[in-house]
Amino acid sequence: MKIPLPARFRTPVLLMAGLTLLVALATAIGSEQLNFTLTEMLIRMIVVIGLYMFVGNSGIMSFGHIGFMGIGAYVTAWATLAPEWKQVMLQGLPAFLQEHTYPFPVAVLASGLVAAGVALILGAAIMRLNGLAASIATFAFLAIVYSVYSNWESVTGGTSSVIGIPTVVGPWTAVAFACLAVVAAYAFQVSRYGLMLRASRDDEVAAQSSSVDIVRVRLVAFVCSAFLVGMGGALYAHFLGVLTTDAFYLALSFVTLSMLVVGGIGSLTGAVAGTLAVTLIVEILRACERGFALGGAQISLPRGSQEIGLGLALALVLIFRPAGISRSREL
Amino acid sequence: MINLAQNLIDALSLGSLYALVALGIGLLFSILRLINLAHGDFITVGAFALIVPSMEVTAQLAIGALNPVLLIPSIALIVVIVALMTDWAVFRPLRRAPQPSMMIASFAVSYIIQNGLIMIYGARPKNVNLWPALTGQLSIGPLRIATLQIVTIVVTLVLMAGLALFLKRTSYGIQMRAAAEDFRMARYLGVRGNLVIGMAFGISGALASAVSLLFLSQTGSLETGLGVPLALFGLVAVVIGGMGSLVGAVVGGFLVGFIVTLLQAYLPPDLRSFRDAFAFTFVIAILLWRPAGLIRAKAFDQRV
Amino acid sequence: MLQVENLHVSYGGIAAVRGLSLTVAAGEVVAIIGPNGAGKSTTLAAIAGGVSPREGTITYGGMGITGRRPEDIARMGVSLVPEGRHVFATLTVEENLAIGTYMLGHRSKTSADVAAVLERFPRLQERRHFPAGRLSGGEQQMLVIARAMLTQPKLMLVDEPSLGLAPLIIDQVYDILLDLRRRQGLSLLIVEQSTSRILKHADRIYVVRSGAVQLVDRAQALKDGEAIKRAYFGFEEVRA
Repeated sequence: MKIPLPARFRTPVLLMAGLTLLVALATAIGSEQLNFTLTEMLIRMIVVIGLYMFVGNSGIMSFGHIGFMGIGAYVTAWATLAPEWKQVMLQGLPAFLQEHTYPFPVAVLASGLVAAGVALILGAAIMRLNGLAASIATFAFLAIVYSVYSNWESVTGGTSSVIGIPTVVGPWTAVAFACLAVVAAYAFQVSRYGLMLRASRDDEVAAQSSSVDIVRVRLVAFVCSAFLVGMGGALYAHFLGVLTTDAFYLALSFVTLSMLVVGGIGSLTGAVAGTLAVTLIVEILRACERGFALGGAQISLPRGSQEIGLGLALALVLIFRPAGISRSREL
Repeated sequence: MINLAQNLIDALSLGSLYALVALGIGLLFSILRLINLAHGDFITVGAFALIVPSMEVTAQLAIGALNPVLLIPSIALIVVIVALMTDWAVFRPLRRAPQPSMMIASFAVSYIIQNGLIMIYGARPKNVNLWPALTGQLSIGPLRIATLQIVTIVVTLVLMAGLALFLKRTSYGIQMRAAAEDFRMARYLGVRGNLVIGMAFGISGALASAVSLLFLSQTGSLETGLGVPLALFGLVAVVIGGMGSLVGAVVGGFLVGFIVTLLQAYLPPDLRSFRDAFAFTFVIAILLWRPAGLIRAKAFDQRV
Repeated sequence: MLQVENLHVSYGGIAAVRGLSLTVAAGEVVAIIGPNGAGKSTTLAAIAGGVSPREGTITYGGMGITGRRPEDIARMGVSLVPEGRHVFATLTVEENLAIGTYMLGHRSKTSADVAAVLERFPRLQERRHFPAGRLSGGEQQMLVIARAMLTQPKLMLVDEPSLGLAPLIIDQVYDILLDLRRRQGLSLLIVEQSTSRILKHADRIYVVRSGAVQLVDRAQALKDGEAIKRAYFGFEEVRA
């Protein structure tokens, strides 16, 4: 039986149904490796959707969103680590963090809010810049976050890892948040703000004039997207249980940007499809690196093939299919 | 007084390095409007080209063992070829693509080069002792200056003078300047677009190779990410100086060298490790205060 | 020597030129006139290779040049003088002029060629070491024409040479262009918005509106101006 969907909600409903089905299938198979990969992918998807919310709607490239992810991840670590751990590893934390532990939902929400707060301050400054200058500023922001977090030993542990974060995120939690991200991003893009922003993206003159309205709408998108990405960072922390500052720098920026571009910068479907496609490519290459038997001979690709393959895939998409595999259209 | 003079030399030599990096990035930007995030990886390639390709932890010099008269042009040639190949394979098909796409493509090139190097040479850092003769110090009165610092400054000045002469005096240089100002008009006058862009990539690669050698002689440590921080500071210098202006890139490079050195010397010790964060904050401040940079390139006012 | 047939050009889905055709014979002065946004400049840019047509063919000297690179078309002897005086502002007058000679391949003659052209432009001669950005509007217009001359074109495409210039200067510009035609047999395709002056100088006139030719005739036949007006504005003038 076919259930007619109101056209307005088609895209998010289809995306959410697809993701939920995917998780249901994977948990039914029950392979631990599969669940791990799937959870990581869904968390990245939240980040990519967050990135899309700003980049896709405004047309301004951001290289700094992984900075928000790092901020979110450390906030939740501060909030949920056991006080004994914090007294050893993170002595510089204020008392309300060092002496207490907060429940997971509170911590994740706080992660999003702190990231959004930072985005508000940064965005208020840079959203009036034109596209290229704003992109460079986001890049500088990433470098600042990385530099500060790598050196602020008393609250981040510096270059050593923060361990002991409760690993409470599995595929079902991840997919729930991914669905939340889909709804949020879709609600934004069909809202008045979203439409204004997309109109400014497509009309160069309007985009260049950077009128007060457009700056404000960009800022709203920037803050909302940082909120999602910050929450994604928190989930990532609760998935891995271990944090290092290196995890939130250029490599992950590259992977998430690739996901968005491969899928198609201009659509929510693209963000979701790109995350799926890139994960698939990377996993296949990773499997090839581990090696497989072919006619009795053991064949394996050299280490690093995975990364190079991803780089090539991105370059090929840029050249031959600039609007991504979704052609930047919605389902 | 001594301290100040010492800091000044440090700043000049660090600034020279950044100025060379900034020139490489700025030159490509002025012609192609490309922010080349892979410029640092051109530098890394130049450094790795010195040794025998292997996963061994101890590096064995190959080209690096040659006489400098052969070594320098060989390394320059290798980096120039890599730069030209990236143009041919990636950027030429993207000539009409929007700016963000080109920037992301350069990010992809960076990622591919870095991981390609890891594939060939392994991920662990290696020690390389290039030109031990340059590690000495010169004493001028009470002042002790590392020979390498002097070499860095002199090489930079020579390269900058060479580039300036090329741009002012040769027909190709004049064509490049014309293309930097108004690419389309230059082509209407018969200037070959791909040739000019190719030259920009080539010169950018040659400048990167100079940085490879200077930087590696200073640090003695090879790792696949060695060019990344250099490129970041080079990019910072380009933005501060004014995008599209080569003079701006040089000024920006020296300015960043001075800022970093001063922060290192005069920040209170517990803030010193946040030096880079201060430098990048400064970039955002410059972008806000003067989006076109300190030295405004006329043709770029509307575009940047 | 130039045939444009059924030219269509769009920018991001918006059609600027729709099915425009025109010809220029050797040694002929042809004018395209029409209101703002009629697709005149786009047509010139398409001929010179600056934009790729969506549809249609452009033939020059018997060879198809549709969609070829601008530098190749320039090297075949077609020189575009775009509207708005695109001088290279930071280059000196002399360097600006030199750019035009590089593609001819006989680099030893560059300075001789430049000197010969400068003789005809005393004002530029005086200021040959100045950055071009510091010239006046009229001087800049002279410079871009002199620069185009140095590419030794057989066909020159000139976009609104009189825009923003004083009448006296406009006369000078036209004198130079027509002199070139007399002496070197240069063909000219000139775009203008105003009709009065061009009617005097052109052999044939195309009136273009909404990306297509509305009227074409010998300049002589259009002297009274009524037909032009109708084609230009697209309606009969209402008389009181």
